[in-house]
Amino acid sequence: MIEIKQLAKKFSVENPKKLSEQEKKDPRLKGRFFHSVVDVSLSVDDGQVIGLLGPNGAGKTTTLRMLSTALTPDAGSVKINEVDVLKSPLIARQKIGFLSGSTGLYGRLTGRENIEYFGQLHGMDKTAIAQRIEELSQMLDMQTFLDRRCENFSTGMKQKTAIARAVVHRPEVVILDEPTTGLDIMATQTVLDFIRSLKAENTPVIFSTHHLDEVSELCDRVAVIDNGVSKFDDTLDAFKAKAEDGNLHTAFLATINQGAR
Amino acid sequence: MWLVFLKEVKELVRDRKTLFFMIALPILVMPAFAGMAIYFAKNAADEAQNKVLKFALVGADYAPKIATELRNTDGFSEITLPADVDFAEQIRAENVDFILEIPDHYSDNVLQSGQAIIKLHMHDAGLNLVFQRVDDIVKAQVKAQQKTAFDTIGLQPEQQTALLNPIVLEKVNTADQRESWGAQIGGIIPYFIFILCLQGAMFPATDLGAGEKERGTLETLLISPTERYKLVLGKFLTIALAGLTSALITVSSMAIWSIVLSQGMAIQFVIDIMSSIGILDFVLMFLMLIPVVGIFASVLLSLSIYAKSFKEAQSYMGSLMMLIFVPIIFSILPGVELKGGWAWVPLTNVALAIKELVKGTMDYFQLFAIFGSTAIIALALLGFCVHWFNREKVLFR
Repeated sequence: MIEIKQLAKKFSVENPKKLSEQEKKDPRLKGRFFHSVVDVSLSVDDGQVIGLLGPNGAGKTTTLRMLSTALTPDAGSVKINEVDVLKSPLIARQKIGFLSGSTGLYGRLTGRENIEYFGQLHGMDKTAIAQRIEELSQMLDMQTFLDRRCENFSTGMKQKTAIARAVVHRPEVVILDEPTTGLDIMATQTVLDFIRSLKAENTPVIFSTHHLDEVSELCDRVAVIDNGVSKFDDTLDAFKAKAEDGNLHTAFLATINQGAR
Repeated sequence: MWLVFLKEVKELVRDRKTLFFMIALPILVMPAFAGMAIYFAKNAADEAQNKVLKFALVGADYAPKIATELRNTDGFSEITLPADVDFAEQIRAENVDFILEIPDHYSDNVLQSGQAIIKLHMHDAGLNLVFQRVDDIVKAQVKAQQKTAFDTIGLQPEQQTALLNPIVLEKVNTADQRESWGAQIGGIIPYFIFILCLQGAMFPATDLGAGEKERGTLETLLISPTERYKLVLGKFLTIALAGLTSALITVSSMAIWSIVLSQGMAIQFVIDIMSSIGILDFVLMFLMLIPVVGIFASVLLSLSIYAKSFKEAQSYMGSLMMLIFVPIIFSILPGVELKGGWAWVPLTNVALAIKELVKGTMDYFQLFAIFGSTAIIALALLGFCVHWFNREKVLFR
């Protein structure tokens, strides 16, 4: 399970004068620091999928980057299956699979080599990697292009390879940062099927998105972040109850506006 | 670390563009260009030598011997110009290639007539051998006139020689041959090697830092369970290897081609140069290069990982290239030697040391100090690079 408590992260601003008018009005800008994430808490149990919602610039990516150990938070705690991510990031990284919509591949390596490289970085031995690639290529239907160079792949092929690369080490949790942004319908479907298969394997998944239909289709829980603060963290049903008609858009707007009042 | 290194090298080797710049360019393209330049230059020289020159004589009657000689020599053809024409205009209109104007006091008896100044009107822009070819004919007359005059006065042959050149200043060079040509080419060699190392390392450096950001592979690499310093070292070694390989290939290709091209002509000279520099000196030169390449690789990787995109990285590296020229130019400036303060200027001292090694006048103890100080700088920069790779501001700009 994943447990995030009172996470906070600020970035220093090089030149506050250069910011746009809108950025200057953001309440999170305090002096020379921009407090991107102020207070975010959420939790996911095994086998659950949590959808992370929020407007652009709300702090979703920063939160997920802290969760994946790419960024170090200024305050708060992150626990993945009882391992403190901040205290032992190297151990935590072995438990995490991470993928975003903009994740790329090494174009001059073949699909197989891309997956192998990350398997090796995770300390897996050759036979284990070969077995796992076989398994994943069956699951994601990658046999036809696995040994071709990635630079010539279609978006769908790239996304399948990126998924296989992200889970080659059998992560205990999977983090997805807007995994369907910029993808065509087929590639999006691949990602959604993949999330379903993780759920079936009892792996907790946290993913950020702007597509509410994906949330209603896949998620057990919903978390909403606005201006770096957690506005909601509960079950999908509780989220739907926010709107009288049970519409997710209305529920989302109601959650965001609730803080403004 | 080796995992990262091997993967980066594999990617590098599969990139045709890099391979072209690293291997094909120095081995084939450079000598091909040099060969083409030599070919065209030789062609142009042959053409100038064999071209039939149209000439006109003014005052031909005063110097019948020169006139006859010109008329009888192959490659000259006389034309007659009307009187009172503008010489410059005639030459510009290409009616005539040159006009020889002989003064009226010209005579074969120099003792009576005194010095004669013959004017050669010609269009002396671009490659031509007009002056040389006319001069060859005039010189024969000069010799003949000198002989007649000396015979008239009744001078012995030794006296004639002495009179023509009363004092000869003869240079006796105490520097041995290696030292003197070493001083001439020794400054250029490190200049070439440094630039080549930097050039060879530049493309892979851009790819390994800014390229990862642009392709969106950096984030996944950063959250793999590998210590940051191992990632940096793997990348650093790849860049350093590329720089060294590129320099080595270029230098050996230059050596091989110069031997091949100079076969039959100056091969003895080339062999002399190569054999007088001992194996030890070559090894020492190579060893000196290692910390230098280390410095280049660290700086390039730091710049590259800071840049948001390929384009940004390339503009930083262009500026770096300009900066690198400064310490190298210092080492070429006359009067700058491996003494006092100059021995402590980074890069300049290595360039000077390579020059001393080529000259064969190296103080080997000084080499330790230079190698040591350069290695310390390289390590410090590598340390900085690791620190740089841990900064969120650099990685997620």
